[in-house]
Order: sequence, then C-alpha cells, then structure tokens
Amino acid sequence: MAPKETQTEKPRKSAVSWIFFILVIIGLAAFIYGIMSPHPEKAWQAYLINFLLWSAIAQGAVLFSAVMHMTKARWSGPLSALSESFAAFFPLSFVLFLLLFLGRSHIFPWLHEDLHGKEVWLNIPFLFTRDCIGLLILYAIGFAYLYNALQLRSGANKAQGAFQQMIYKGWLRNNRRLETVKKKMTVWAGLYILAYTLVLSLIGYDLVMSMDPHWISTLFGGYTFVKAFYVGLGALIILAAIIQIRKGKDSGLEPSHFHDIGKLFFAFCLLWADFFYVQLTVIWYGNIPEETHYVIERTVMIPWNTLAWTIFVICFIIPFVILLNKKVKSAPLFMVILCSAIIIGFWFEHLLLLAPVLSHDAQSLPVSVTDGLISVGFLGLMVIAVSFFLKHFPEISKTAEGGSSA
Amino acid sequence: MQGKKYIMGLFKDEDQVVSTLAALKESAYNFQRVHSPIPSHKIMAALELKKSRVGWFTLAGGILGLISGFALAIFCAIQWNLIVSGKPIISLIPFFIVGFEFTILFAVFGNVIGLLTQTKLPDYKGIAYYDPRCSGEHFGVLAACDPNQQEGLKDFFQQNGGEVKVFE
Repeated sequence: MAPKETQTEKPRKSAVSWIFFILVIIGLAAFIYGIMSPHPEKAWQAYLINFLLWSAIAQGAVLFSAVMHMTKARWSGPLSALSESFAAFFPLSFVLFLLLFLGRSHIFPWLHEDLHGKEVWLNIPFLFTRDCIGLLILYAIGFAYLYNALQLRSGANKAQGAFQQMIYKGWLRNNRRLETVKKKMTVWAGLYILAYTLVLSLIGYDLVMSMDPHWISTLFGGYTFVKAFYVGLGALIILAAIIQIRKGKDSGLEPSHFHDIGKLFFAFCLLWADFFYVQLTVIWYGNIPEETHYVIERTVMIPWNTLAWTIFVICFIIPFVILLNKKVKSAPLFMVILCSAIIIGFWFEHLLLLAPVLSHDAQSLPVSVTDGLISVGFLGLMVIAVSFFLKHFPEISKTAEGGSSA
Repeated sequence: MQGKKYIMGLFKDEDQVVSTLAALKESAYNFQRVHSPIPSHKIMAALELKKSRVGWFTLAGGILGLISGFALAIFCAIQWNLIVSGKPIISLIPFFIVGFEFTILFAVFGNVIGLLTQTKLPDYKGIAYYDPRCSGEHFGVLAACDPNQQEGLKDFFQQNGGEVKVFE
C-alpha cells in the first residue's frame, strides 16, 4: 500500500512544494530589498514580527501533543500526531533567531538609551546568550519528546529513509516495549511544558516587552505563552482541515475531532482575552504613568487605536461569537478561514506591541507591501518544514489512532 | 390515547434495538421511547432525535446575566456617587468582572431551567409503562398501537428477537 500511496501523492506534492519554495525566495528577496533600502529598520521589524509569530506557532502546536500525552487524552486521535509535524520548524526558528543578531542595531531601541541600572540585564551579549541557550534547551527537549513519540507511533513500521531508520533504532533500543517509550515520553513532555512556559516568557520579555525598557508587566510572559498556544492550535486546525479536505476519510479525522479541538481553541481564545484583561485591570487600577503610557499609546493614540480595536474584534469577539456554534467547529473549510484570520490578527498584534516603539513617529500604520512579502516567505518556510516532516513520516496520520488509544 | 395498547419489547442486545428501531419507523405502530440501562451512542444515533433546545436557555441566561451584572454594578455606583482614587463613577473596566460572573451564574440558571422544562421535571407520578428489567440487563422499546393490532406488534417484537411485555 505504501508505494502506491507515494506514487499518487508525488506529482501533486512536488508542484505544491515548488510554489512554497518560490514564496520563500520572494520573501527573501523582499527582505534583502528592505535592508538595502534607506529604512532597513522596517524590514527588520517585519522580520522580528514573523520570527516571533511563526516560532510561536511551532512551539504552541508541539505543546498540544505534549499536553495530550500528559493528560492521557484520547479524544485528540490523529491530531496529536499531526501537531508534532510543526517541530520541523524548530531548526529554522533557531537559525532565524541567530540571524536577528545581524539586525541588532535596528530592533533594540534601548541600545543607545540610559537604562538606569537595567543594562545589567539588557545588553546584547547577555540577551543573545540567554535566549540562544533557552531556545536550544526548548528545541532539544522538543526533539527528545518527538524522538520517543515517533517510536510510539511508527517505530514498529518498516523503516524507509534515514529519519525512519533513526526512529527504528531507538525503538529497538527500547526493546520494542511501548511501556518504556511511553514513560520516556511522559518525562520529556513534562520537561517540554515547563521549558515552554519559561523560554516563551523569556522571549516575550526580551524581544517584545524590553522594546519599551521603562515599561514592565509581570504577566507579560504568561500572556506570551498563552497567545502562542492559541495561535499554535489555530495552525494545527488549519493543517488538520487541509489534510481532511484533501484525503477525506483516509485521514482518520472525524467531524468529532474538529468539534473537540474547536472547543479547546475556543477555550484558549477566552484565556488569551482573559490574560489581556487581567493585565489591563491591574494597570488601570494602579494608574501609574510608567505603566499606563504603554496602553494609552496603543489604544487611544492615532494611528494605533483603530488597529488595537480591530485586533480585539478579529482575535476575540468574532471567534467568540462564531465558535459558540457546534456546526461551525466541525466544518473544516470554515475553520481554515477563521483560523487564518486569527493568525493574521496576531501578526498585527505583534505589530501593535512592537511598532509604536520601533517606528514611533508614525502618522499612519507602518505596514507596506514588503512586510506582506516577507511574511509570505515565512509562510513558505513553515509549509516546507511541515510537508518535509509529513513526507518523511507519512503514516503518522494513520497510525495515530492506534497510538493514542493504546 | 385512551384506546391505545402499550407494548414493550425487551432486548438484551444493543444492535437488535437499533435494527428494531429502524423497522419500527417503517411500520404503522407508534414508537414511544427507549429505556436503556446504559448510555448508548448507537441507540442515540438510531433515534435521530431533534437537537436539544437546552443550549438556547443557556445562551439566553448568559446574555441576560451580562446585562444584569453591568446593570447591578452601575446601579450601585450611582446610588453613592463616590469618587474612588480619581476613577470615574461608572468605570466599565472593573464592572466587567461583575458582568462576567453574572454571565456564568445566569447561564447556569438558564441551563438548569432549560433542563427542567425540556425534560418535564420534576415528575412526581413516575414513568408510566415501565419495566424494572430496563434497569438491569434489558433494553426496553415501548410502542403503542390500536387494540386490534396488538398481536401484530407482539409478533413484530418477537421476530426482532425480543421478549414482549403488554401493559394493561
């Protein structure tokens, strides 16, 4: 069955992957054009937004699998195996982070400011060292979890290709025992969840909050990782829906799976809004100028105020009202549209958090075609990474049923 | 309803119930209800029940609660007109907490009221035409027919593999 499968898949897949390869090239060209132009900081701003957004998607989606394993959830079925495919973006994300170093003079507005003692924490060598180590730890744990999870799902299968050989060897080393693999998975899943919260908090503080070095919010880390899980779930729903639409019943994805993950997505929509509100309430009550200026600049001042309300409507009000409905949650095509809108909404949410500082005298929204093209390039990278994974482990969506109920 | 005869078919097998229900839909007998000792997805699917309306009660309760919560907070605030730490008398940001809590409270109330009205509870009379075996190891399918069709309905249940109980 396997060779037949690859034969029918191949022509379509290669055509599609070419398109995304071209998208990456377009993105790269737009980025190079951007940094050559008189305003390289614009291109670096778009780069930072995209790095944060797409890394968050990958980290959040893999978290889904870890959480499902830790809670011994069975409802997720093939979804939890699919979510692991986003781990293929981890190496790219790490390289993209290292490239940020080249744009350090454009993306850290505090470089030439008097930081009043904060320079102990906010200096380039320390920031890059700690974030680099943090991401390395997170991604290493993610891959260790993935190594065991793949043994559980496809270890017993006939190995083809180098990656599957590696998984198969691990499977042999564990003496083909599911119990051993599951125990290891539990340990790595727990560590991944812990590392996820800590490292995403760190990234949130260092790359987003510190842009305005005199503003502090202790909840910002929590806000960052809840948001990352929210967009991660959105991306996972999109992937599952596309596979379901293309493969139909072969994908093993039932309407009930979409209904269930839709409920979780809905819950995290609420949790994201809650984290935002909790932050807002404290700042509102305290009414300290150092804290309020950040919120006032973004929600009251032109041009940011309309953007802020648009984001709130797209990422909370609309999903809230729509996701109350059961039928919508189990309709894959509609969920693709809704989740895409939310992810685009979060692109602008990153813009709202970063741009008032990075281009602070803007009269209108600092968005240009170049930003869009750079984002499209990142989309291409993500799709190539995920389809690379799915090509090397094509059976994950099939054996997942057995794996999760075992 | 007076002239009707109530007959129950008792089955030990879930799949028999499903096939009986399908056949009963085709026949002239009036299907009444199924008693099951366990929750069964197969039977639920075979019954093709209409979607429950309880959700609408919950939604109505929630919306009413959101409005009531804000209304209560605003009403209380304007009774005293006290300015606390320079904040406006009617400040919506903290009132949202009251609104949120009331949304949940009233949604729960709406849900319970919906549940009671939709299932016609409380029921003091108890269920008419019930066999205690349905709390043991049998599924009971209750159907009604005219007295002259009684034998036909009995045969129908027996053909589908069930025991028959006739209610007087």
